[in-house]
Amino acid sequence: MLEYQNLFTRVQVRTTADPGLPIDETFGQRYGSGVFSYWAGKFGDFQIGPIYLGFWGIVSLLSGFIAFEIIGLNMMYQVGWSPIELVRQLPWLALEPPSPEYGIGIPPLMKGGWYLIAGFFLSVAVITWWVRTYTRARALGMGTHLAWAFGSAIFLFATFFVQPLLVGSFSEMVPFGLLAHLDWTSAFSIRYGNLYYNPFHALSIVFLYGSVLLFAMHAATILALSRLGGEREIEQITDRGTAAERSALFWRWTMGFNATMESIHRWAWWFATLVTFTGGIGILLTGTVVDNWYLWAVKHGVAPTYPAQNVLTQEQLEALRGQYPSSLNRGFPTYTMPAPASMMLDSTTAAPDSTAAAAPAPGGM
Amino acid sequence: MMRTLTRAAFGVTLLAISGCQFFKSEERAVVQKGYRGTAMEINYVARDVNTAMNDLAKQMPAILPAASEASPPAQWQNVQVLNDISVTEFNRTMLSFSTWVGGNPNNCAYCHNIANFAADTYPDGKAIYTKAVARRMIQMTRNINSEWTEHVANTGVTCYTCHMGKPLPNGLWFYTNENQILRHYLDGAGARVVSQGIAPSNANRSSVKQTEWTYALMISQSTALGVNCTFCHNSRQFSSWDQAPPQRVTAFAGIQMLRDLNTNYLAPLAPVYHPSRLGPMGDAPKAQCLTCHNGVNKPLYGYPMAKHYPALWGTHTDWVTPPAPAFTKPPVVMTDSAAMVTMDSAAMSAPVAPTAPPTTPPTP
Repeated sequence: MLEYQNLFTRVQVRTTADPGLPIDETFGQRYGSGVFSYWAGKFGDFQIGPIYLGFWGIVSLLSGFIAFEIIGLNMMYQVGWSPIELVRQLPWLALEPPSPEYGIGIPPLMKGGWYLIAGFFLSVAVITWWVRTYTRARALGMGTHLAWAFGSAIFLFATFFVQPLLVGSFSEMVPFGLLAHLDWTSAFSIRYGNLYYNPFHALSIVFLYGSVLLFAMHAATILALSRLGGEREIEQITDRGTAAERSALFWRWTMGFNATMESIHRWAWWFATLVTFTGGIGILLTGTVVDNWYLWAVKHGVAPTYPAQNVLTQEQLEALRGQYPSSLNRGFPTYTMPAPASMMLDSTTAAPDSTAAAAPAPGGM
Repeated sequence: MMRTLTRAAFGVTLLAISGCQFFKSEERAVVQKGYRGTAMEINYVARDVNTAMNDLAKQMPAILPAASEASPPAQWQNVQVLNDISVTEFNRTMLSFSTWVGGNPNNCAYCHNIANFAADTYPDGKAIYTKAVARRMIQMTRNINSEWTEHVANTGVTCYTCHMGKPLPNGLWFYTNENQILRHYLDGAGARVVSQGIAPSNANRSSVKQTEWTYALMISQSTALGVNCTFCHNSRQFSSWDQAPPQRVTAFAGIQMLRDLNTNYLAPLAPVYHPSRLGPMGDAPKAQCLTCHNGVNKPLYGYPMAKHYPALWGTHTDWVTPPAPAFTKPPVVMTDSAAMVTMDSAAMSAPVAPTAPPTTPPTP
């Protein structure tokens, strides 16, 4: 059967696995010798392994495992160590950050301490994995673009720790849980007067959706050019052929402007990197510089005004406004219970020998 | 072949969609709740609401025939609350109580010593806790109907509103050692979390976690009323009263009412109840929105059951004077339409008159 072939529909050659460049394996070595997978070849390279871990890789995996275990065991504890319940309730389970009363102090283990420990190990895992992307890129003689793009994501990750530090409460941090961290995004937005009015949040969304758009445009362009050798992007950069010319013409004719075989990758890198970078700035400004983004947007003419649904006087507004919460509502209340019913006294019989007669009457009412 | 198959699949899909009740426009009702273009609206399936209303109508006890005015003056024996009505009205009301709470009109023994209806004790001398509780509940009902019109308007409540033929209403809650959002309905601190200014200040140190507690409280209300956020809020700024539908003011009065009921009526009954009725920490069962609303934004779909029972109105005779309401209902521009009940969407979708000033000054 005839099969159309280009670089995207590769013939899968089975031979000795390629271990890659010879490297200095003093501080870490490659594990495995490489295996072949037909289906892996449909999605990428058909050779899997060997994998290089090295010092940073091992530290990262170990830290990540510790964090995963702390979160998982806490969840197990929450469901009474029942594996079935763990599976059933998993979407709603979470390892929660400390309560507001602890501020940025160290809480007891079961009241947020485990959360901070898990967060520490998760951070170590992420940061050492970054070191790994940097050192591996250097070892292969590459640029460090990937490390810095990843670093932008880590920057956003870090703001979820730095922002709580700046506002003085670890209770601001993101819980480790499936639905819990989604609920956190809602609560964070509501607390700070609707995050959609945060311009850096808006920028982040622009770059996020922009990244998706660029990805689709670039991928579609290259796939459409593969019959003309357009998938050989590097060759097309240095030695421009008909594929590059036609793609340039296509975009110039359809939208008046075109990227180039080289610059489209810079577009993509910057869009992707700026998603998390602008998002992180937005988080850092929230609660530290701006406490209510909606009011900020009103002040700067960003949010439109609509006719009021209720016309209220200032006095009425004051009467309607509730209080800010102060502390937890735990255990038995401290309020003075009103006196029990004096109506228990029966006019037809003697006082009943009930619990009511023995009831305390706090408050002397 | 492939083209024919594709066309067939497309046709079947169209048929399936058009045949599905969900997509029939006359079944979907959308009620505009706010300024145009702001997505302030209620969506519901009219058929579902009608079914639920019919189900309720079937199970609701009949209104007993009105009592004659010319009934003899009463020689009350140990009647401490309902002693301001005629004897026939009294008996009619008692029969209704039995149906509303005890499940049938013959369940006198649930609250009474059959040998001596006036007694507060059984023949063996033990207190009838249900009678004491019921007495207090009548006072509470009168308090709601006479003092809390900001929340219950002229509709009022009866025992059936919450009990619905069962001794224990829905949504009762007790203290636990966990953080309890429902404590807001008794002694909990405030639930407000959004700042009133742009810059951060120490006036509001609420954290995201506290916001989540308020969120949970709000969702409990949302579930209890079967409505979404925009029933009471403009979700672009939850804290704004100007942009909120008038229902938010009613709901605020409801929270104040719950605090009154729980503080002055329900929680103090702890020493009266049988221990089996108390929570793990020894506290009395307390109410929340769900207790009366039962999943509907207007309990019993707004049916004015209480108006047939004059015994449930009148001023409360009480041993504790409840605190005065913390606020008075401000005048609102948009009328609070019974949209969910009457399907009167035309009134709701009319443009809101935005600039009409309040006609009456607020009562201090």
